[in-house]
Formats: sequence, structure tokens, C-alpha cells
Amino acid sequence: MTGPGHSATAPIPAEPGASAAAAYRAGIFDPTVLSACISCGFCLPVCPTYAQTKLENSSPRGRITLMRALEEGRLDEDDPTLQHQAGLCLGCRACETVCPAGVKYGELLEQWRDHQWRGRHTPPIAGALRAGVRVTPALAVGGLLRGAARTTGAPEPDRPHLMLGCLERSLYPKVSRAALRLIPDADVPEGQGCCGALHAHNGGSREAAEMAQRLGERMPGTIVSTSGGCAAYLAHQLGHDRVKEVGEFLLSRWDENPASMPPLRPILVDGRPARVGVKDSCQLRNGLGVFAQSRALVGRVAELVELPSAGVCCGGAGTYSMLQPEMSRAVLDPTLTQARDLGLDYLVSLNVVCTRQLASGVRRAKLPVRVLHLVELLELAL
Amino acid sequence: MNAASSGPRAAHLDPDTVAQLRRIVGDSHVLLTDGDVEPYSRDATPLFRARPDAVVLPATTSEVSAILRLATERGIPVVPRGAGSNLAAATVAERGGIVMVLTRMTAIKEISADELLAVVEPGVTTAELADTAALQGLLYAPDPGSRTVATVGGNVAMCAGGLRGLKYGVTRNYVLGLEAVLPTGEVIRTGGRLWKDVAGYDLTRLLTGSEGTLAVITEVTVALLPMPAVARTGVAYFDSLSDAGRAVAGVIRDGLVPATLEFLDNRCVNAVEDFAHLGLDRQAGALLLFGDDGTPEAVERSLGIMAATCERVGARGVTMARDVAESEALLTARRCSLPALARLAPITLLEDATVPRPKIAEMVDRIEAISARHQVVCATFGHAGDGNLHPTIVFDPADGDVRHRAEAAFGEIFAAAMDLGGTITGEHGVGAAKRGYLQARLGADQMALLRRLKAAFDPAGILNPGKLGS
Ligand SMILES: Cc1cc2nc3c(=O)[nH]c(=O)nc-3n(C[C@H](O)[C@H](O)[C@H](O)COP(=O)(O)OP(=O)(O)OC[C@H]3O[C@@H](n4cnc5c(N)ncnc54)[C@H](O)[C@@H]3O)c2cc1C
Ligand code: SF4
Ligand code: SF4
Repeated sequence: MTGPGHSATAPIPAEPGASAAAAYRAGIFDPTVLSACISCGFCLPVCPTYAQTKLENSSPRGRITLMRALEEGRLDEDDPTLQHQAGLCLGCRACETVCPAGVKYGELLEQWRDHQWRGRHTPPIAGALRAGVRVTPALAVGGLLRGAARTTGAPEPDRPHLMLGCLERSLYPKVSRAALRLIPDADVPEGQGCCGALHAHNGGSREAAEMAQRLGERMPGTIVSTSGGCAAYLAHQLGHDRVKEVGEFLLSRWDENPASMPPLRPILVDGRPARVGVKDSCQLRNGLGVFAQSRALVGRVAELVELPSAGVCCGGAGTYSMLQPEMSRAVLDPTLTQARDLGLDYLVSLNVVCTRQLASGVRRAKLPVRVLHLVELLELAL
Repeated sequence: MNAASSGPRAAHLDPDTVAQLRRIVGDSHVLLTDGDVEPYSRDATPLFRARPDAVVLPATTSEVSAILRLATERGIPVVPRGAGSNLAAATVAERGGIVMVLTRMTAIKEISADELLAVVEPGVTTAELADTAALQGLLYAPDPGSRTVATVGGNVAMCAGGLRGLKYGVTRNYVLGLEAVLPTGEVIRTGGRLWKDVAGYDLTRLLTGSEGTLAVITEVTVALLPMPAVARTGVAYFDSLSDAGRAVAGVIRDGLVPATLEFLDNRCVNAVEDFAHLGLDRQAGALLLFGDDGTPEAVERSLGIMAATCERVGARGVTMARDVAESEALLTARRCSLPALARLAPITLLEDATVPRPKIAEMVDRIEAISARHQVVCATFGHAGDGNLHPTIVFDPADGDVRHRAEAAFGEIFAAAMDLGGTITGEHGVGAAKRGYLQARLGADQMALLRRLKAAFDPAGILNPGKLGS
């Protein structure tokens, strides 16, 4: 080493805060996952909430800095920003797909909400939903399905099991019916319970994992779900080889055995092929890497139009549209503008929560676009 | 650490100052609570952190001016900040005070194909500028790895380099003019739209690389180039990084000045492959990414020569990207090297030693010897064509005295770089992270001149105090 002052200051600071605080850990987060982020900011351009606020605290990097401050005791757990940001995050995991460091943001968010939303801190709607779904495992398999549903008898591992999302059972029975027409041999167990995704994303991840396991036992063999969010969560818990989102399932089944594919007619509007855009399910695309299958299916029955914002969260995000109505609408707006500019006839969703969010946006913007679940669109072609 | 030495240091801001700030930028653009300011307590530099007292987000030059005037009057430190992606702890508010975030100033005011220039506000990202220029068939050449995140203001303030430095130079070669606000509030315009203009000292160059210590940049005029007809990329694998270094020296001796010559050692290749899944050769000791742009014939010739040189030096394999998408994927993967290395251990300490090009292979060997001697895990990648190396030590702080060993290793790496006629930082800047080494590089007389310059711009010493020349 040469020169005066060369070793005056090391490149590594002896900053008191850094080392002292690192010694204290609240134990809220998995330390390996939490330490993986290097604050490079590569995730900023894809985060829908950061795009709205342009504030670091609503970016993935900023939220991880907040989590660290919570973990290391630099922020009080009642800090209003912590409370607010734990809720403002969509949980869409777009940040995870672009993170070169492989930060498992989805896991960190679950751990954050488990802690942040326990007891009196639970946002009232999240708590009510968690409780509501838990005590109604038998939310009736709706009227339209009666007859198809199996109420007794042993589970049959060889048949694909159709798993009905909680919301779908009560509000969107048509989706289940369409799925059944496309998978005529599906087994639909009655009283199947919830997969746990809703709990996991709303501060109840331990309970959620148990629910997923129970569901897995009740439905041995392949589980098919019309909800991208449920499929992704269950696949994470039970393995992607066992759990398939319905589009994924149909495409591989029809490709492997073309005879199993019903004849599909082109869907026409004013005598021309319908223009159809797909809006991805975040968990499905970002958590499971599944997005091509739905497009391939749409392409078989209509003209597929790629929405520039197809992969950006619609703002429905499970319970988000109820918990954060304003941000939820703001996040959706670019999609509505694009749907109008591209002259879409149909907007296809892969999750009924998205269906509801998209439909309310379309109504609000008075667009001449019909929002359908993928299986409902395919049913039109039967 | 001299952060706590002389100069202004904010206690918490008094209510009147807060009221004034709110009046200037509006209530919602002043952040004050612990939780709201915490995310602004660090940038992409590990181990440095300090919470500011307030974060202020101005939207116009006159708001910037009013804030600075107030801060000078009251002796409050102000730290300018773009995207906070710098690697020198240059935006860490070690003395508290105000972090001034420029990301609301995002207008692309003009792209002129006739004059080959663009005028932008400082909060525009490098990628937004480059993409908008590309729509008109124009190239914004500086290409830092952080292009999708970093702001043009931050690029200018750090004089960012990137993946095209060899042929195209760095940010300073493209800044034609600046609008900037002095810490005392005056708005100055340096340079302008002209390629030739020698009226006065070259303040544009002085502000470029000034790391937010002399003035706040509020508008940038940059030079653009016609977009080259084609750009192509190839990959060569070697047994060792120094072999790749020898290939780089060979290419330059062949009389070529290609756009891109980037290399990664085996650890980097594996970390990048874990993220990007491109089918890179995980067994290779090093990967050299070479590329050029221009007319199809010139690019064909250039890539042909580079491939031949690599083979002559003993490459294990050479492949060409088949199309634009494959080229882009390779470059994107290269840009991710640093964050991808974070997969290896909790702390990723990266350095920026730079040596004259013919010395690259020698420097690489020295880095390897130094890390072995100090028993640290060092992964090296860099802009090989510029002699700019990023030796990166990864470690788990729980692992005994590893921090001190890393520190000692870096001290020797810097000394080695200077011994070979190089420098302590090629493009990432000094900030707080490297100020301890600055005097060794510049000498006492130049350091004193830097301080006098700083005082001339910033008599109250409020702007990014403790960094670079202060
Ligand atoms: C993964 C990764 C890859 C990178 N690759 C490269 C690379 O290839 N080449 C390279 O050179 N750098 C690289 N960097 C470093 C960094 O991105 C650059 O230094 C970039 O220019 C910083 O821009 P920023 O907007 O993030 O600025 P910030 O980090 O916010 O600020 C940087 C400095 O500029 C000052 N500043 C910011 N805006 C203004 C303004 N408007 N007026 C006055 N001062 C201002 C700040 O005070 C600070 O001193 C990389 C960083 C990462 C994380
Ligand atoms: S989450 Fe990943 S991409 Fe985002 S700042 Fe951290 S390391 Fe970078
Ligand atoms: S999950 Fe979505 S909203 Fe939340 S930080 Fe990541 S990208 Fe942003």
C-alpha cells in the first residue's frame, strides 16, 4: 500500500447502526430470504404500486427495507407506514420474476402479513374473509352443479378432481359449469374446503398450509383449478405435477390425446373472428411461470390480441380491491385504456377474482367489452 | 470515518423549516415519519445506512432552488437522489438532513433528429431516454447495467459508464449542456446545444461526476447518434479469466475498437445462469461477451476477427448469437451479474478497480492471488474492454472476521490497481464508500483544490456533505 492516508478509511464502514442492529432480530422473517436483497432496484420498473406513487416505500425494494427495519428493531411494529405498506402491496410477485438475486418476495410478504396483521392489527375485511371462508368449508357446490357433485363414496385418484374456488362456488357457478363441460370426467367432491391461498395472502400462512394439505388428501391425484391463484398456491404446497390450472390442464390433455378435444367452433363477432385479450393471473404467471397455455387456447377459437399490460396485476389481487379500493382502481386503468384502444370484444381472465375486478372496471369505463373466464370463452366455442 | 467531522449536521428539522418545505413542494411531497424516510436511508451499497430527517420531492427547478436556498440559510444538509442505484453510498445521508429526490422530474422535453440531441429532466431513466430516442432511429450510447432503474441525473452525477464504453465512451462524452441549481439557489446553464463552445471553464464536465456535491442538476442536454444498422454479439469461453483478458488485449492489438467486451469468471457465469437459464457453459473458467455494431459488413468482419482472436488465445468454444433476441438476452444476463451474485451469500461487496487495458490479465491474476491470501470468496466480472474490473467479495457476516479480511483484500486490490497505473474507481464513484482511498489516488494538493472548488460552489457546505471533495 502506498500513499498517505491510504488506509485511513476502510471501504467497509464501521457504522455503529449496521453492526449493532444486525445483532437484534425479531424473528419475523426467514433471515436467509430477507438478506438476499441487495437493493439494486431492478424490481422498481415492474411494481404496479411504485408506478402509481413513485415513492420508495411502495416499491419492492423499499418494502424489503421496511421489513428489515422491523426485523432489526429500527421501526416500531405499530409504525403507520409498516401497516399501510403491508396492505398496499398487491402481492402480485411481479418483482420476483425480474429479481436477479432470486429474492422470494412472496414468502417475505406472507411472513410480514402474518406478523403485521395478527390480532387487533388485522384489517377488518381480511379478518372477516379469513374467518368466513374457514367456517364454511361446505359452501355449497352451487345449484347449477348439483348432480355432478359427488357427495359420497371414496375419492377416485384416476379422475381429475375439479377444485372450486371459494368465490366461484358462491358467485360464479357458471364458471364451474363450463369447466365441467370441458372436463366431462371430472370428479367434483362436495365440501372440499378452501385451498388456503386467501389465508396465506392475508396474514394466516400457517393455517393456510394445513388447509392445503387437507384438500390434497381429499383429492388424491390430479387437481384442476379454475382459479390461477388457488392453482399457484396449491402447486406450491402440493407440487406442480399434481396441481394444474384449468387452461394448462386442457391444453396438455388435448395435445396428448387429440380425440379428447371436443370440436371447437370459431367465435365470431359481426362475422369476423372475435378479438380476445388475456389478462394473466399474477400468482399463476409470476409464481408458477404459466401464461402461454391460456393464449394458445384462445388462439384456437378467436383472434388473440396481446395486451401490453397483460402481465400487470389487475388490482383485484384476492381481497385487495376491498382493502385498497383506490389503488386497486388506479392499477387497473391502463388495462381498460388498452382494451378500448385495441378494440377488444372479450377480455379473458384466469381467476374469478380478476373477472370481478375487470368487470367492474369495464362497467365503470362503459366499455363494449365482455369479461369472461377462460372456460366460459371456450364454452362459447362448443 | 470522517462523516461526523466538521460541517453542518441537522438535528431534527424545526417546525418552521418543515412548514416552509411543505409550502414549497406541497404537503404530500414532504416525508417525515420514520417509516416513510426509512426506505431512503440506503442505496445499492451494502453496509451503509443513515436515516434522513426528511425526504422532499420537488417537481420543478424553482422548487429545487427554493429548497436549496432555505437549506443554505439554515445550514441543513441536502443529499440529491435519483433512483438510489449507485454503488458508492453516494446518497446516504450520513449527517441527516434532507434527501431531495428528483424522480418526479421526468419530462423528455425534446428529441431532435436534426441536431442529434435530447433534452430531459433528471428523473428520466436511462432506458426511457434510450427507448424514446430509438423510436426516432437515434442511439443514446451510454449503457450502464442499471439502465432500467438509474436516472439520467444520477448517470451524469456519477459519470456512469456501461457496456458500450470501449467504442462509445461514457456519460461525460454525451453531456452537451446542463441546467443546475447551486446550493445557494442560483440557477445556472452550462454548455448548451452546441458541439463546439469554449466560452468559459468547462463546468459541464466539472458537474459530470460531481456526485451531487456541487449543484443539483435539473435539466440535461445529451448528444445522440444515428442508430447503427445492426448490432451483434458472440460468446467465447476460456479456461481462466486471465486467458479472457489476453483475448481482450489481442482484439485491441488487432486494431479493433468493438462496442462491447465484457467478461465474467466462473462464479459469475454460474450465478447468472441460475437466474437467466441461457444454457451458458457452467464449466468454463471465464466467459467473454463480445459485440459490435455498424453496417452489416463491418460487423461481420469485426465479429469474425474477434472470434478468431479468441480461438488463437485458446478459447474452449466460441458461439455467435443467432438473432437480436439472443443478443439482447446475453446482454441482459450480463447486466444482472451483480445482483445475481447476491445468491451466493448475504453480503455482496463490489469494487471497481480499473487498469490500463494491456494490464487486465495481470490485474486479474493479482486479484486472484490477493483473495486467496486473505481467504475470501471473490467473483470477478467487468467491462474488460475498458480495463474496468468489478471484483466482488461475497460473504456471510456471521463468518468470524471475514469482514476484516475482505477489507484488507480490497485495500491490496486498490494498491495493485494503482501500481499498474490504474485507479480506485472506474465508474461507480467515490461517495462515502471510497473516500478513504481518494487522497492516495489524487495526492494532497489535488485534494486541497477539490475542497476549494467545493467551497466556491457551496459556501455553507450543505450539499451532500462528507462526500467526494468535501
Ligand atoms: C446492478 C447494478 C448495475 C450497475 N451497472 C453500472 C454500470 O454498468 N456502469 C456504471 O457506471 N454504474 C453502474 N451502476 C451504478 C449506478 O446505477 C449508477 O451510478 C447510476 O448512474 C446511478 O443513478 P441513480 O439515478 O440511481 O443515482 P443515485 O444513486 O440516486 O445517485 C447517485 C449520485 O448522484 C447524485 N445525484 C442524483 N441525481 C442528481 C441530480 N439530479 N443532481 C445532482 N446530483 C444528483 C446523488 O447525490 C449521488 O451522489 C450499477 C448499479 C447496479 C445496482
Ligand atoms: S428485490 Fe431483487 S431486484 Fe429488487 S432490489 Fe432487491 S435484489 Fe434488487
Ligand atoms: S408483489 Fe407486486 S405490488 Fe407488491 S412489491 Fe412486488 S411488484 Fe410491487
